[in-house]
Formats: sequence, C-alpha cells, structure tokens
Amino acid sequence: MTTSSPAPGCPAPSCPAPGVRIRDLTVVYKTPVGELPAVSGVDLTLTPGTITGVVGESGSGKSTLALSLLNAVQPPGRIKSGTVEIDGLGDVVKLGGEQLRQTRGRKVGYVFQAAQNSLNPLKTIGKQLLDLGRSHEVDDLRALVRDAKDLLARMGMDGARVLDSHQHELSGGMRQRVGIMLALVLNAQVVVLDEPTTALDMITQATILRIIREVHEERALTTLVITHDVGAVAEVADDLAVMYGGRVVEHGRITEVLGAPRHPYTQGLIRAIPRLSGDISLARALPGRPPTLGTLPAAGCVFRERCDKRMEICETVEPQSVTLDGRTVACHAAGRPLPLVKRKEYA
Amino acid sequence: MITGTGITKTFKQRGSVLGGRDVPALRGVDFAIEKGGAVSFIGESGCGKTTLGRIIAGLETYDSGEILIDGAPMSGLSHRKRQPHFRRIQLIHQDPYSALNPTRTIHQTLEAPLRLRARQTGRPRSWIDGRAEELLALVGIDPGYVLPRYPHQLSGGMRQRVVIARALTMDPEMLVADEAVSMIDVSMRLGILALLKDLRERLGVSVLFITHDIATARYIGDEGEVYVLYRGQVVERGPTESIIADPVHPYTQSLLSAIPVLHGLERPGAEQVVPTEALDERQADAGCLFARRCPFSTDRCENETPVLGHLGETVQLHACFHPKHRSVIPLGVGE
Repeated sequence: MTTSSPAPGCPAPSCPAPGVRIRDLTVVYKTPVGELPAVSGVDLTLTPGTITGVVGESGSGKSTLALSLLNAVQPPGRIKSGTVEIDGLGDVVKLGGEQLRQTRGRKVGYVFQAAQNSLNPLKTIGKQLLDLGRSHEVDDLRALVRDAKDLLARMGMDGARVLDSHQHELSGGMRQRVGIMLALVLNAQVVVLDEPTTALDMITQATILRIIREVHEERALTTLVITHDVGAVAEVADDLAVMYGGRVVEHGRITEVLGAPRHPYTQGLIRAIPRLSGDISLARALPGRPPTLGTLPAAGCVFRERCDKRMEICETVEPQSVTLDGRTVACHAAGRPLPLVKRKEYA
Repeated sequence: MITGTGITKTFKQRGSVLGGRDVPALRGVDFAIEKGGAVSFIGESGCGKTTLGRIIAGLETYDSGEILIDGAPMSGLSHRKRQPHFRRIQLIHQDPYSALNPTRTIHQTLEAPLRLRARQTGRPRSWIDGRAEELLALVGIDPGYVLPRYPHQLSGGMRQRVVIARALTMDPEMLVADEAVSMIDVSMRLGILALLKDLRERLGVSVLFITHDIATARYIGDEGEVYVLYRGQVVERGPTESIIADPVHPYTQSLLSAIPVLHGLERPGAEQVVPTEALDERQADAGCLFARRCPFSTDRCENETPVLGHLGETVQLHACFHPKHRSVIPLGVGE
C-alpha cells in the first residue's frame, strides 16, 4: 500500500477498471435460533467498467451483499464462506486489520444508505474530508482538498462553499453528492452505492443518477448500485441482478432482464411497478410478502410461496443457477421462457 | 365535498443570527375535492404539498383563505367546533414504521379510537371488537393473525394496511394519503394503491393522494384529478390522464422527464425538459416563479405573473405564458 498523494483523476484506458468476482458467498447472522443465512451461496461477477444494479426487497440480503465487498459485515453477522475477489486486491474476505482499513475508502468507495444522515453533524464537510485524508495517510492534504473541490464542481456544486458547510446547511441531494465525493476522492476504483436515491424527489433523483453515470464513465469505475427501486437502476445500470431471499435469482444485461424477464419473481416485480404508460389493469402486486431471516424455507425454492409457476420439484429441491447467453436464472420453470413483451434494444 | 380558496401559509424561520426569514409555503391555492373523488398533489420536496395536505386534515393552521367542508366555513371556528368536521378527514402517514406505537398490539391500537367512536355514536362496547375485525378484513389482512401482534412482527405493507384501518375507525369521508407507498416494498405498492382505489369504490371515500411520483397517481382510480404544485402555487391542474399524457407546463414536463426509463421495456419520450438550475427557495418572487429554472422562459416570464387558465385551449388549467405540448413520458416498447 503506497502512501503517496492521490493521483488526480485516473483516466481510462491507462488505468483500467477492476473486475469483481463474488463466489459462493454465504453471510450468516447469529440469532437466538442459530445462525441464519442473509446471503446464501451467491455468485456474482461485476464486469470491469460497468454499472451493475442489484434490486431486491427488504430482507433480500442486498445490503449485506454490498457490505461484503468491504468485508464490513458487522456482528452478529459474519461471512461464513466464499470469496470476494477484486482485481489488484485479491480476496477481500481474507484481508484484515490495517490492510483492510487501507482498502476501504482508497480502493473500494462506499456511499452509505441514507448518506444524507451519515455525515457528522458537528463538523464541516471540509474537516471530515481532512479526517478521511489523515486516516489514509495522505501526504498532500491541499491536493486532496483541490480534488474534492473539483469533484464537487463536477457535480454542479460550489466546492468551497460546500466544504465550509455543516450537513444541516445542505439539502438532501447535496448531501448525497457529498457522500459520492467522499467515496471517490481517494480514487477508489470500485464504488458501491447503497440506495443512492431513496428519500430524494424525482428531479433530484434524475440529477444524481446522471452524475453517477457521468462520473462512472469519466473515472473508469466498476460500480455497484444497490436499491429496492427498479426504476432507479434501470436508468443507469448496464447489468441487473435481482435478489430474493438471499439469492441472486436472475442476472444479465439490464435491457434483456427487463425486456424479457425469465424468473417468475422478476416477472412479477416488473408487473408491479407503477408506470406512466401502458394498461393499468395489467399491473398487479405480487401476492404474499417477502421472506425474513426467520421465515425462509429450509429446503426448496425460496420464492415458491409467492410463485404462480410453482411445481412439485420446487418444494424440495433448490433451483441451481443456470447461465445461458449471458443470462443467469435460478428457477426450475425458467427452462420455458415466457416473453412478456417484445424485446428491443435502445441505445 | 371540500373546497379551498386562496389558502396561504407562511412559516417563520427562526434561530438565525440575522433574524427571522419568512418562508412562504402556500401562496394562494384553490382546490376542490368531490365526494368520492381522487385528487393528487404532485411536486418536488418543498413545493407545499404536504403542508396543504396537513391543512386539509386539520393538523395545520392557514394564514388566509377559506376552507369549506360541505359548505361550512372552517376559519374562525373554535377547536371544539371544528373537531367534528375534521373527524371526517383522516390522515394516513407516510412511514408505517413510525406511525404505530411499538408498545401496543394492533388490537390496542385499533381499540382506542374505536372506543371513542362507540361513545360518539352511542354504540355498545361489544361493538368494538367486531368492528376491529371488520376493518382489518376490509383492508385485506387476516384479523386473527394481526390483532394480537405488535407492529415489529408485521411487514411494511401490513403495517400500512393497519394504519389505513386505524384511519377508517373514525368512519372518514376522506383519506389524506401523504406519500403512503414510498416506504413500501415495490412488489406490494400496487396492493396498497389498489386498496385505496377499492375503498373509494366500495365506501365512497374520497382520496387525497400526495406524492412526488406521478406514476402512482394513475393507480388510485378513474376520474382522478392532478394538481401540480410549485413553490406553493398550483401551476397545472386537470384530469390525471391528460396531465400525464399531455402536460403543457414546463415544470410538469420536467417532473415527468425525471421519471426513470425502464430500458428494455420502455423508450424515452421524444423530448426531455431539464430545469436549468436547482430549486432555490430564496429566489425573488417576481414574475413566473419557475422562470429562473425554465429552459423556455422569456422576458415576459421574468416580469409578469401568469395565472391559471386555459391559454392555448388546453383541457387542463395551467399557469404558463407559453404552453406547448411536448411528449416527455417514456413509452412502452410495443406502443
């Protein structure tokens, strides 16, 4: 780990974005009834230089999965098995102590859920930036402040004014941008955004999504966006992974997953999105409720309770992920794809 | 039927060393909500939609203007005299996680207002338990499962249904739903919207729906009306479908442009309207309030104030000097 001052903006292609490979990851939480899996045997590959969206409802394990990228699952949770390999870093699960601390922030940037509320209310943004620099042994703090100002200006804000502000002086959208700045200012190449647009109104959300896309391209990042809102990722992501009950049930190119979903959960989720056009009478909510740690079935498919294509085999055998033409689906019934709408690509 | 004319509300911001500052939340809003109707207030944060909702629910005072509930004026009435009127309007809170008392079972939560209602209507106490079960069944949850449980044992969607059941204990004629689905998992949002629609149709309850997501307004039923609010003013108002499919005010168009496109299922609208700068409430009030952010503003917009009207022979009312149809909403791939 070097302690040199951060290089100003790392332009592609001299500095290629790293890939991330999650293999057979299982994360468990300790409860009075034993250890329960929040994430079970997840395989997920983030292609270098892409934005991958992970959608799931509450309790689907999406935030736990994101924290695993930093090896930051807090007790009573722990990573039970599996690997998280990041190019240039190796297996993050095996990192510990000082090495791990250095990785967080400098290699993997994380914009926390409700970044609006994750800033220190007693310190100005500038002071928090200097704290971040010192804790990562940045020699040239002036350069760090300069980079921060550039990033803030890039996101359409007056850098000097923002750095002199306390968090209560900034609006929700501004705080979110400060969170993104803090995640990127040490030139992290892998960035995780947890619910980046929740609690923001539509116009601010559109601005933040555009900023995420532009900064991602300019700095050659590998980005993971975690959200419960399909709309929020549909606008920016290249790939989409759908999580349910701690599993990735479908993963592929976003236009393909949305245009021709193959897992019954993805199909139901898309039908359930309130939309501006199309027939209202065709839209319907998914029956039932998402499982919690305690109500996950021990055997068989985790989605079967709410599934309209349920078969006998679903009761006993957990479906394996099958990859075909770049699309991964874990469903016994997905062998017979049901095209919901005509598939068509738009640039 | 509830009507409001010229409602204004100004909040005083205190605590600054430089003295207080007036923040106008509502600048003269007219509205009318028919019995059994569905009205949606739409706008970005800070546009005054929540304040207006709270005023209509009787939880906030207003500075000037008049609210009529079935023709009876509300201003000047004492709290005691107003109270029976506002009983008929109940608020559904945004956050089902904090709207329910965590130390009370659902049975206790529903029992308290029902006991009050029983006293008001002269019903026996034995009526209470049956009514609680009836209400829970009405909102689509199993009373036997829910009644003995505490809020933390229920999912977000179930809690929101309990919150709606609690609002129904007072036999309201109108429900004010402030962002009622924004905290609920996507797969269950339509269920809550369908429930509101169902209550409208079955009980004749009118619904005031406050949201920043216009798409959800389509799902609370036919013949709905949308009010687009901007900095405390109504800038466009009309039938839901015509506001969504055929907006003429640039602010409405920028709200609709901001809605994410589901690539693969939809293609973006032919035109996009993006505000030229972020919302700044401290901007001067002269002329059209949206002029500074509007990509199409002219000198006239800076100096003259537009009023709601049908300029350009539009279906809806709008407050813009230069109304123009722009197709901004994403369309389905097949359409």
